[in-house]
Amino acid sequence: MSSYFDYFCTHIEKNSDTIRGTCNSMCPDEEVILREREDLVHVLEVLGPIRKYVKSYSRSAADTNIAKPNLLRPYSVLIDTLHYLLLEVTKRKEVSSVMVYDFVNDRLRAIRQDMTIQRLPPEQCVKLLEPMIRFYVYYGYKFSNLSTKGFDSDLNKKYLLECIKWFLSCIDTMDLSTNRNIDLLSDFISNLNIKNVRRYRLGYDRVLMECLYILCNLDDVHPLYRYLNFSKDLKSDPRLNLAFKIAIANMKGNYIKIFKSMKTLCPLSYCALCTYMPVLQRKALLTLAHAYNSKKFVVPIEVITRWLRLSSNRDTIKVCSHYGIKTEGNNILFNKGEFKTDAFLHQTSLEDDTMKHLDLSVDNIFTYSS
Amino acid sequence: MSMITGTLNQYIQCVERMYRTGQGNILSRLLSLRDEHVYNRNLLSSDIATLVTGNCVAPLDELVIAHLSCLKALYASDYIEAYDHQSICVASVVKLLQGQKEENWCLPVMYAACLDLRLVAQKAEASSPQNGSKIMEKAAESLLACFRVCAADNRASDVDTKKIGMLCLVNQLLKVYFRINKLHLCKPLIRAIDSSPFKDQFPLAQQITYRYFVGRKAMFDSDYRLADEYLSFAFENCHRRSIRNKRLILTYLVPVKMLLGFMPAKYLLEKYDLLQFWDLISAVKNGDLRGIDMVMEEHEKFFITAGIYLIVEKLKITAYRNLFRKVYLAENSHQIDIASFEAALQIMGQEDVDSDETQCIVANLIYDGKIKGYISYQHKKVVVSKQNAFPPLSSLY
Repeated sequence: MSSYFDYFCTHIEKNSDTIRGTCNSMCPDEEVILREREDLVHVLEVLGPIRKYVKSYSRSAADTNIAKPNLLRPYSVLIDTLHYLLLEVTKRKEVSSVMVYDFVNDRLRAIRQDMTIQRLPPEQCVKLLEPMIRFYVYYGYKFSNLSTKGFDSDLNKKYLLECIKWFLSCIDTMDLSTNRNIDLLSDFISNLNIKNVRRYRLGYDRVLMECLYILCNLDDVHPLYRYLNFSKDLKSDPRLNLAFKIAIANMKGNYIKIFKSMKTLCPLSYCALCTYMPVLQRKALLTLAHAYNSKKFVVPIEVITRWLRLSSNRDTIKVCSHYGIKTEGNNILFNKGEFKTDAFLHQTSLEDDTMKHLDLSVDNIFTYSS
Repeated sequence: MSMITGTLNQYIQCVERMYRTGQGNILSRLLSLRDEHVYNRNLLSSDIATLVTGNCVAPLDELVIAHLSCLKALYASDYIEAYDHQSICVASVVKLLQGQKEENWCLPVMYAACLDLRLVAQKAEASSPQNGSKIMEKAAESLLACFRVCAADNRASDVDTKKIGMLCLVNQLLKVYFRINKLHLCKPLIRAIDSSPFKDQFPLAQQITYRYFVGRKAMFDSDYRLADEYLSFAFENCHRRSIRNKRLILTYLVPVKMLLGFMPAKYLLEKYDLLQFWDLISAVKNGDLRGIDMVMEEHEKFFITAGIYLIVEKLKITAYRNLFRKVYLAENSHQIDIASFEAALQIMGQEDVDSDETQCIVANLIYDGKIKGYISYQHKKVVVSKQNAFPPLSSLY
């Protein structure tokens, strides 16, 4: 699942000798020469008359040595590269957004590779990983409603989980070395009922990442067990607490509660939950088909539209017929026997009122702190 | 010779004799950290390696040196050092076992060394928290090396096979994985045991430990029927005097049973000092959702450290069912207004619940088969079956 992370744990933590990169541009000279010669320039690397190369990802093959200082970018260059990719390249409009995604994703993988080879300390890793997590959550949402050609949502989820788990493991390492005493102290302080200063924000939004870990893995209990073992003041953080409550509501099939709480989510948490919406809606419809199963009694379409947060009545009819549920005029006739349990997941349109209030611009998504 | 006062030479001779005569059980005690010989200060020479080498047959000498060095480190309270020696000890046992074809009398030595390894690793971990779970992870690797030797012993006859040693190792590994919270690593071990032809021939005590952990794993994976089966086996077969173990098993068995619709008797909870569950049981029975929240708050630490917090949360679904059943009995009708259910929820502390959410809760209960009937949206009523409208939970699983 998280290949870099495993590699990191098994090979790297054991040895403390490190290799420091000396490449001070986004792309090593060697690669620039090679790519110019072989004509391997990506459209997104061409900016009018100039070319802005970014180191591309390549697997480490047996006969090549990728651990050469002149091929590796130090932390400060990696941060600059990351900013360039997320805040500038993602705004490019001349190619399709999937192409932009593919390009950025590839270059992010190269960044992670440089991080792994140089064994960057957790304090630096978290700062590089946090924006990447935002990237994968945001694009997972952006491409989820249209069956986009060339976008693989499973692969996206894989990269997302890889980054989140790596991020969390860094956080745990940092906690282990510094926060033992602070924790005791903060327990003491929170008992005194003094609102203590936020100690989680060090240029990255840890709480947001913990929220995303829960909301991106709603069918998994691990994030919940993780949450339960947090310190008291972290657990009572309103954003994190809300994410936990949504997960609990999901565990009990309480779709009404989940959809109600969506209104108060921050943009990325909202994106994460939206990606999960089709699963929720199918589960809810299956439940409804059993509960309102009747030959004579019906349920008005607009009620279902409201309950399941579908974008329009037309959309509701589409989803219903996809799962084999009949509609009659303005009403839905639920029949548990006719529900198509083997139908593939129906992606619904995600446009709704809440979305209009959220600032989903790239600038905001990659930089806001909740 | 007394093991507490004898000299180092006498100790070595004794170990050698037991090795030559193939007395695994006594040998295991002589090489264990939990035997009385550890109190013998004569064994703690400053230069163990030179005194033992040449004085003891190979490959036993390595084992004895590692064992006594570990002992010395423990006396010096240097647990990391002790751990390193104990892991050499286990590695020597692996070599010893590999050298012995078609015989398995040495297994008790392996059991003792592996158990000691885990205990020392725990000590070492506690003494250096900055290492996280790295020491336990290393211990797991050593245990796996033993496991491979046992699992690969295909040629020996059933009486002499080392495969019989697998379960003891799996149990040690399960303990480690539960401790460092790496439950996903349990799966291949469980598969190895469940597909083993010796499945039912392993010693009962080991089977109990095994089922206890696999039951907990099943509980974690929300497979409550399997959890019930495994934990019940463990509880019923656990020795009656092992009160502490029985209590541990019950900590998980009680909530699982409750989810499956069986409420334990008060005397049982009293006997095993588990009265934390009693308030919970009455709250669930009465559909008292506020009561459940109060119990969860009061015993939050207990539920979280035991890893049963989420199960307790799930018991709220049972509480909904019980509450709605009360409303149904009070209304004495097969058609109940959604509004009545909604009011009942609000009285029980769920103030923010509206008609939509009430219907959602009822819908889930119908879908789960906990209420037999259907909802009429137009009439805002739940129409329940004339017979067995609220089937007993125990009949559903």
